[in-house]
Amino acid sequence: MSRVVGIDLGTTNSLVAFVEDGRPVVLRDRGGDALVPSIVSIAADGTTVVGREAQRRLLTDPQRTVYSVKRFMGKGFEDVSGEAAMLPFRVAGEAGGVVRIGLGERELTPPEVSALILRELKHRAEAHFAALGDIDPEVSGAVITVPAYFNDAQRTATRDAGRIAGLEVLRIINEPTAASLAYGLDKRKAGLIAVYDFGGGTFDISILRVEDGVFQVLATNGDTHLGGDDIDMLLVQQVLAELQTTAGALGSDERAFVQTVRKAVIAAKWDLSAADAAELRIGDYHRQVTRREFEAMIAPVIERTLAPCRAALADAGLDPSQIDEVVMVGGSTRIPAVRQRVAELFGRTPHTELNPDEVVALGAAVQADILVTGNRDMLLLDVTPLSLGIETMGGVVTKIILRNSTIPASGSEMFTTGVDNQTAVDIHVVQGERELVDDNRSLARFKLRGIPPMPAGLPRVQVQFQIDANGILSATASELRTQVAQTIEVKPSYGLTDDQVEQMLLDSFEHAETDFAARLLIDARNEAESVITATEKSMRAPEFADIVATEFAPGEQKRIDQALAGLKHVLASDDKAAIEQWTHALNDATRHLAEQMMNRSVRAALAGRNVDDVR
Amino acid sequence: MSSETTHTLQVCRSCGGGAPLDVHFCPQCTKILTLGRHGDFFSYLGLPRKLALDTAQLEQNFRTLSRQFHPDYFYNATPAERRASLERSSYLNDAYRTLRQPTSRIEYLLTVEGMPVGGDGAGGTQVPASLLEEVFALNEELDEVREMRGGGAAAEQWKPRLERARRPIEARRDAHAAELQALSAEWDALVERGAGPDDRRPVLAALRERMLERNYINNLLAGIERELAG
Repeated sequence: MSRVVGIDLGTTNSLVAFVEDGRPVVLRDRGGDALVPSIVSIAADGTTVVGREAQRRLLTDPQRTVYSVKRFMGKGFEDVSGEAAMLPFRVAGEAGGVVRIGLGERELTPPEVSALILRELKHRAEAHFAALGDIDPEVSGAVITVPAYFNDAQRTATRDAGRIAGLEVLRIINEPTAASLAYGLDKRKAGLIAVYDFGGGTFDISILRVEDGVFQVLATNGDTHLGGDDIDMLLVQQVLAELQTTAGALGSDERAFVQTVRKAVIAAKWDLSAADAAELRIGDYHRQVTRREFEAMIAPVIERTLAPCRAALADAGLDPSQIDEVVMVGGSTRIPAVRQRVAELFGRTPHTELNPDEVVALGAAVQADILVTGNRDMLLLDVTPLSLGIETMGGVVTKIILRNSTIPASGSEMFTTGVDNQTAVDIHVVQGERELVDDNRSLARFKLRGIPPMPAGLPRVQVQFQIDANGILSATASELRTQVAQTIEVKPSYGLTDDQVEQMLLDSFEHAETDFAARLLIDARNEAESVITATEKSMRAPEFADIVATEFAPGEQKRIDQALAGLKHVLASDDKAAIEQWTHALNDATRHLAEQMMNRSVRAALAGRNVDDVR
Repeated sequence: MSSETTHTLQVCRSCGGGAPLDVHFCPQCTKILTLGRHGDFFSYLGLPRKLALDTAQLEQNFRTLSRQFHPDYFYNATPAERRASLERSSYLNDAYRTLRQPTSRIEYLLTVEGMPVGGDGAGGTQVPASLLEEVFALNEELDEVREMRGGGAAAEQWKPRLERARRPIEARRDAHAAELQALSAEWDALVERGAGPDDRRPVLAALRERMLERNYINNLLAGIERELAG
């Protein structure tokens, strides 16, 4: 039987998880790494790489490499043209149309780029299942997570990405809700939970009530354009200012320099979560950043997450003090200042015991399992984050389905004609909380056709809007006097038509051939890297010296050093065979060491000590 | 229940059997029923048509029914069953949302009792007779404030006047809340003793009257808020 998985398609990193023996687990590579950087690079020969390898190319081939594509999902060109200056890749598209991302000669829409990431995750999972001995290791379906505050266009774009990747998208679920599912697995108790999800590019807050295994979202709020990326950009701008230049002043070949700066500030940001100061070194430029300095700089970004929290609490009719538990999700919640502000707001220490990078994928895997097995232990009841409305006279919005309505939800509206014998009506659907159409997000224009000819004002066309459990809208219509159903032609404002998605799916097969050779090379490189990482980790371990002294044969350490150096030497090359040979050599050389390390942890564990203490 | 429900049957699309209006699964073939003819929000949620609802019961029934027909549990079912689950869940969610809030609950009751608040163009624009005095005073005050602001008066001068003008309206709103509660209790007592339509009608009419006034008062207060903000 084929498999289903849960996928966290993140701004910075993506993960895949699945349920094994009733427990969700994230898929890791040999080095124990679960995170696949959400970065795609297309080489001059058309080969595509995704993940760590693409991340390296961000420095060597920045104009052919795209990151943070999630920020562009379901967006129009005019939405994002402002931030394009900071990005190494080309952002194109015409006004009123979807964004296109230029990578070398190819131009891809954000769903196509995301599909490449999804396909990589699918392949990794399939390789894993094949290695486990599955007769049918194919991944047939996936639950994919999105920020709770994603609108209809962004959700649809995500679903399209799954289809282009050849996945059956079982369900689109919200990241904070998925996190709560993973979090609630162990402690099945009742209560009010706030999930604060601050990731690489998006921020969500969801308030849930958990009772009888039902995870009911009461309210959700957020900002789909607020995350760790914004913190990075602040730091990059600060460094560039100190270097007396700006991103805009740099020529296109200097874009690589911005990436070097970005890499350095991200490393400093990480260091500052544990240390009081971090060194920032970029070429000749050198400076120390203190945590205090860093916190002052990012305070406005953290502040921007608090207003949505208060709004969600108000919508749920709750005071912060009524919340029983606060759960932290997303890499940006590792920043101590973030934790502190959240603790202040809710008056309690937030939970940080689950890995904030992995918890969303785990929840998605649980949901995938619920869908295919019919397991009824738990049930997610989510809400639609934004009100759905239609344009009426004078550009005013009439709301049909209010925000924070439990989904699936429906609503209907009556339409009529303004001219005798009119057979079609245009309906403009928007999403948002504002009163005027122009202040909300345009979702689609529906054209109702097939209204029986009648005098003006006589037809009574009832349009039924339905938001399904994915949070995605559909509509049906019928004229009540004649009982004639109308066809609805949907023109998405910032999305792809079904035909376009189909074509992209076909295109992706054409590219699959060239991608295959690249894949094999990448797999070899990934394998090599995990062996290197594992070896170096062992050599840093406290017991290493003792093992060398008591267990190693003469020359054994030298053989390891040589194999390690040899593998590192060929790693950057395109010589797959050489990489594989040296990986094999290092594996052989370290087998004895690995056994000794294992023995010691087992002994320690049997002696009642935690394995982690030994590492 | 048999004699009462025989004329309000729904039909199972799977086996063609008949089922009472207030069940969700076919008694013959156990399949989920397509949402054709169905009960109102109260009966759908298994609750009496009362205004002082037991909210714990409402939440409990909502969760129980969600567990019965949420689309998550029909992922591998036939298209007809999937559709039925989607429709039943949507209707359940609409019912839950409407009955959870006291005011939307009253509005819904008036609708199913044939006296909708929003119907026949009533409400909103026409000043309720009982509020004429307050509305007149408020409009005068608003005119004067606008004149002051037009003349460049500072916020400290006109804001206190608006705040003062708001107080009597707020007092009316609070009084209304109490009246609505009393009428709601009266309605529930009628339901409990199975009173006839002739007894119910005046209470419903009074509820409707209060709701119209309430909407009007809320519009007035929103107007003052806008004036204060802008």
